[in-house]
Order: sequence, then C-alpha cells, then structure tokens
Amino acid sequence: MSRRQLFLVGLSHKSAPIEVRERVALTGDELRAALSDLKAMQGVEEAFVVSTCNRVEVFVQSEALDPARLFFTSRTEQAEEHLYVKEGPEAVRHLFRVASSLDSMVVGEQQILGQVKEAYGLASGVQAAGGFMSRLCNRAFATAKRVRTETDIGKGATSMSQVAVDLVEKIFGDLKGRAILLVGAGKMGALSAKALKVLGADTILVTNRSPERGRQLAEQVGGTFHPWEELPRLLVQATVVIVSTGAPTFVLTAAMIKAAMKLRRHRDLCLIDLAVPRNVDPACADLDNVYGYDVDDMQKVVSANHEARRGEAVRAEAIIEAEVQAFTQEREARAALPVLATLRQRAEKIARAEAERTLSAVGGKLDEKGRRSVEAMAQAIVNKLLHGPTSRLKEAAAAGDTSLPGAAAALFGLDEQEQSSRASRGREGNGTARAAASPENHT
Amino acid sequence: MSLTLLRLAAALYVAATAGYLVYFARPRHLLAARIGAWFLAGAFVVHTASMGLGCKEVGGLEFFSLRGGFSLTGWTVAVMYLLVQRFYHLPAVGAFVTPLVLLILAPTLVGEGHQAEVAKETLQNPALTFHIFTAAAGVALFAIAFGVALMYVLQEREVKGKKFGALFSRLPPLQSLDTLTQRLVRLGFVIFTVALLLGAFTAKAVWKSAWSWDPQQITSLVIWLFYGALVQVRHAGWHGRRFALLTMAGFALVVVTRVGVRAVPGLTIHSGSYSNTPAAGPGGTP
Repeated sequence: MSRRQLFLVGLSHKSAPIEVRERVALTGDELRAALSDLKAMQGVEEAFVVSTCNRVEVFVQSEALDPARLFFTSRTEQAEEHLYVKEGPEAVRHLFRVASSLDSMVVGEQQILGQVKEAYGLASGVQAAGGFMSRLCNRAFATAKRVRTETDIGKGATSMSQVAVDLVEKIFGDLKGRAILLVGAGKMGALSAKALKVLGADTILVTNRSPERGRQLAEQVGGTFHPWEELPRLLVQATVVIVSTGAPTFVLTAAMIKAAMKLRRHRDLCLIDLAVPRNVDPACADLDNVYGYDVDDMQKVVSANHEARRGEAVRAEAIIEAEVQAFTQEREARAALPVLATLRQRAEKIARAEAERTLSAVGGKLDEKGRRSVEAMAQAIVNKLLHGPTSRLKEAAAAGDTSLPGAAAALFGLDEQEQSSRASRGREGNGTARAAASPENHT
Repeated sequence: MSLTLLRLAAALYVAATAGYLVYFARPRHLLAARIGAWFLAGAFVVHTASMGLGCKEVGGLEFFSLRGGFSLTGWTVAVMYLLVQRFYHLPAVGAFVTPLVLLILAPTLVGEGHQAEVAKETLQNPALTFHIFTAAAGVALFAIAFGVALMYVLQEREVKGKKFGALFSRLPPLQSLDTLTQRLVRLGFVIFTVALLLGAFTAKAVWKSAWSWDPQQITSLVIWLFYGALVQVRHAGWHGRRFALLTMAGFALVVVTRVGVRAVPGLTIHSGSYSNTPAAGPGGTP
C-alpha cells in the first residue's frame, strides 16, 4: 500500500528576501504550466501553489516532498536555504493560518484570502487539485471566514490615511455636502484626502504656496486649486483640514483658527497635521469644537491597532487549532470508512449465501415464516459479530489511530480493489456513503 | 395583579437592558441589540397591560402617586425610545437608555404606594388625561436626551483627548449624537409646553385658578424656562460639549425637582387630595 500525505514546501517574507521570492513567484500561464509539471511527477496525487508577492508555497499530496522542493530549486539554487517544510497536520495548520491572514505582513489584512482562493481556482482549473485539495481549501476558506467573523482581527486602521478616515468618521459621521481642505503638497496629505473621499465629501479644496505644484495636486486628487492668500476664507468653508507642507513653522496658528471659528459660527473643525516639523499649532486643539491631530497621535492609533490585532490573533489561533483537529479527524474517519463498508459487505454476502444454501436444502419443509426466520438469523449473526469491530474502528478513526483500519483490512483479507469498488457504488447509492467516495491513504 | 404584571415587565426590561449592554460590550453581535429591542417591545406591552389593569383597580388614581408617576415615566421613556430607534439606527443608544428605564422603574416595584383621593368628575376630565401623558412624554424625551448627551460627553472626551479606547470605537460619531440630542430637546420642549398649557387649563377647571403657586407648578415652570433657553442657545450656535452638559443638567433638574416635590408628603397638591380647595392638607391616606 503506497502512503501519500500532504507536504508543504515554501518560503515567505519571513524566511526569504525579496530577491529570492521574485525568482520563484509565478503567475498565470507560467503557474499553470508549473502546476501541470508538478502533477505529472512520480508519486504526486494532487498539487496546489500559493504564489503572491509575499510568499510562494507549494502544497502536494504525494509520497514524498521532493517534487515540491524541486519546484523551488529548479528555479533558483538560492531558494534552498530559505525553504521551510511542513507535513501532515502541520501543513494543514499552516494553510489555515495563511488563509486567515495570521501569517501576513500586516496581520488581519483582507487580500490574502482572495489570493488563496484564486490559487486554488487556478490549480483545480488545470486538474492539479482534486478531491483532497478541494476539501482542504474549502476548510481553509471556512476557517478564514470564522476567524474574520468571530474575532476582530481585521478591525482597526493600520495606515495613517485609514486612521484619518476613522477619526473624521467618529467626529462627523460622514462628509456629505462638506469640504476637505488640503494645505500643502505633501504625499501623505494627498493620500489622506483621497482616502477621505469614501466618507462622501464632494468638495476638495487645494491650496499651496507654489501655484503650479498646487494645480497639479488639485488635478491629482480631483479638487480645485485656490491661491495661498485665500487660506483664511478656505478655513471657514472646509470641515476637515489636512496640512502637510514642508514649512519649518506653524502654517496654522491658534489666532488664525480662532478667527476662522468665529466666522464658522463654531461649526466643528478637524485639523490633521501630517507634517514634521508640525505645521499646526497644538494650541489649536484646545479650542472648543476644534479637533486637532498630529502625526504622533495617528501613529499611536496605528500601533494600538497592531497591538489589538496581535491580541485577536491569539483567539484566532484557537479557532484554527480546532479546525485543524476537526479536519484531520474527519480525514482519518474517512480513511476507516472504506474498510468498514467492505467488511460489512463481505459479511452480508456470506450470510446471504449461507442462508440460501440452508434454505435450498431444507426449503420444502419450511413455510414462509420459517424461511424468513432463517434469513433473519443469518443477518443477526452478522450484526452481532460486526458490532464490536465496527464501533472499535470508528473510535480508532476518530481518535486519529489509522493503523487499526489497516490491520482490520489485513486481518479480514480485504484488498484495496474491493474497497474502492464498494466505495464508488456507495456514492451512487446514497448521500451518506459519499464520505467513502475517495479512498485516501494516510500515514 | 397590576403589580405582578409590572414586575414581569421589569424582568423583561432587565432582559432588554442586558441585550443592549451585550451589544455595547461586543459590537460584533448586532443580534444582541435586536433581541434587546424585542424584549423592550415585549416589556412595553406587558407594562401597558399592567397600567391598564391598575386603572381598572384603583381608577385613574394610579397616576397620582409617586409610584404611578415613576411607572408612567418609565413607560413613556420606553415607548419614546422605541420610536427614536425606529428613525435613528444607533443601537448603542439603547445601552444608555434602557438602564435609565430600569432606574426609573425600580422604586415602583416595592409596593402599592399610597393612593390619592381624586373626585370622579376630575378624573374624567380629558384635559387632565392629556396633561398627564404629555407631561410624561416631555420628561421621557428629556431623559433620553440625557442619555444621548452623556454619550456625547464620553465620546468627546475620547476624540478630543486622543484616547481612542474601547468607548471610542463603540460610541457613535459625535455629530450624530449632537444632532439627536438637539432634536430630542426641541421635541421634548414642545411637548412639555403643551403639557403645561393643558395643566393650566385643568387647574382652571378643577381648582378655579390656572396658577396657584403649587411647588410642582413652580418647578415645572423653571424646567420649562431652562429647556426653552436651551432651545434658544442652540439657535445661537451653541452645540457640542457645552450643549450636551446643559442637556444633562436639565434632566438632573427634572429628577431633583420631580422626586423632591413628590417625596415630601403634602408639599404639592399634584400628588395629594384633589378637592376644590388647593390647601386640602396632606394626601396619601384614603
């Protein structure tokens, strides 16, 4: 009996520098070809490759891990020292962690699940991934979904511009019908102004000391340029002011804001200072109805959110552990089922044959009731005799003991062929037998 | 019987509060807030039945005792919040309003309370009925405004103080809270005005004088002036933290005066004997 199991060979942002990752990362047709090659190799049952800019991981259901290792070493020899290898439940756990974004550079980021889904779709498209990979991946997707809904791992902004959006949202709810003012041409400022558009702001006002650069920026963020001299008026019009100039001093002073607040009839004003050195006098934030934040404040939120995500990751690991356990147990129970089915089939066949023989010998002397009693007796002997082995096998399978099914098969002389023919018939027969549909062999 | 039902309603209010608090603690479980809302609606129905039975048992007298007053106020806060919830999707507010309902109802659960002597023809005066219900509705809106204003003050501390803690993510945006407070105060003021006019009308009919320097009349006027001023300064552009603090102060004024005036037996004719002479002596003993 050949023994196949799940192997993972891979490298990621944690183990390998970008120079190595970019040499082994494949997309599209190249990846399809590589998958077909993998599948064609000796002993490889199924294969599936996750290839993103942060990781390349080869999952194979095979007799040995060499084909997966070859995937890397044939592309660059440097890969060898950066590779990690996992097998069996360890490989399963790794995939679940990756799909749930626990292994990502930014823990909890959303993209990775889509990338794994895409990778699976590609592998099943070229028939490299079959029944086992399908179950594995679907379980991974379900795990990722559980992690996302049952923990807050994806919550909390992890970039400055996202923090700006969160802050403004908590002050104003949305920005419909309101204006954002962008002061200065800093890159972070433009990014934040763009991000704030999701809150529904319909006007972006741009001002800059140099009009040329200002006009360019206005075009870039989809706003209108206003000369620097108009700043006091713009401060009255805008609801959110993002400041990022290269000036070494305060561009917005407390006196300016005080004057603007009076003209605004004290409507709330949010000042976001993205410049270092700071461009907004911190005293502004002490004014009533003025909310002021600088780079440090925002960075604090970013780190706090990273911290919170790490906390949630602990809860996520518990979910993953449970899912890995469930998946492995299910898999092992599945391995025991064909043996059980064959055993029962064999026994029932014997019982039927023996009952028929007895009936044909004494049949004439028995009425209908007597015949049925003989058949029932044969069936009862089978049931009673198999009751113990059946429950023992099921228990062993659930506990992860895979040696017992093998022993049972050997003891009762059930060969593999019979198992699979019974299994495929069962699939047509009823839904519950579907579990036995694909005979996998496990260690 | 009415008391038993009231206790059942209180149990349901507790369940509603629990639902909203669970949602507030774990915002991922919006379902908890939904369940809370259903419990609140159920509590409201049972509470209504209890009040109806109470009216049958002791006539309209139910509402003239301190106990009945609390019960009615709790009931109107519940119905007003159910209405607010219908128009504003801010389930976090429930976590601040439902405990308030429980606080208001707590004193009503202990016993029957005293019963007042009120002439039958007085009770049948429709203006009096409307007076009672509008007054309760006004106070209920002030109570909810208090809860929302408290949320504003807490959230403002988070946002302005750059704390960004657990409250920051759980409390709604400042501007939503500010707008809701303002609307509640304005509507409460309008309804309270109607209640005062109806009260004067009833007093004229029953006591032969619209204004008799009754402590409850005086305190009601003070409350009315306070909220009237609040509506005015809002028009002048006051909002945010200052407005929220004033709103909270307004409700504190309501609680102190209402409870104070009623807790002292015989201080106000509102809770005592309703005879034709205002100075009819202490009420409460039948």
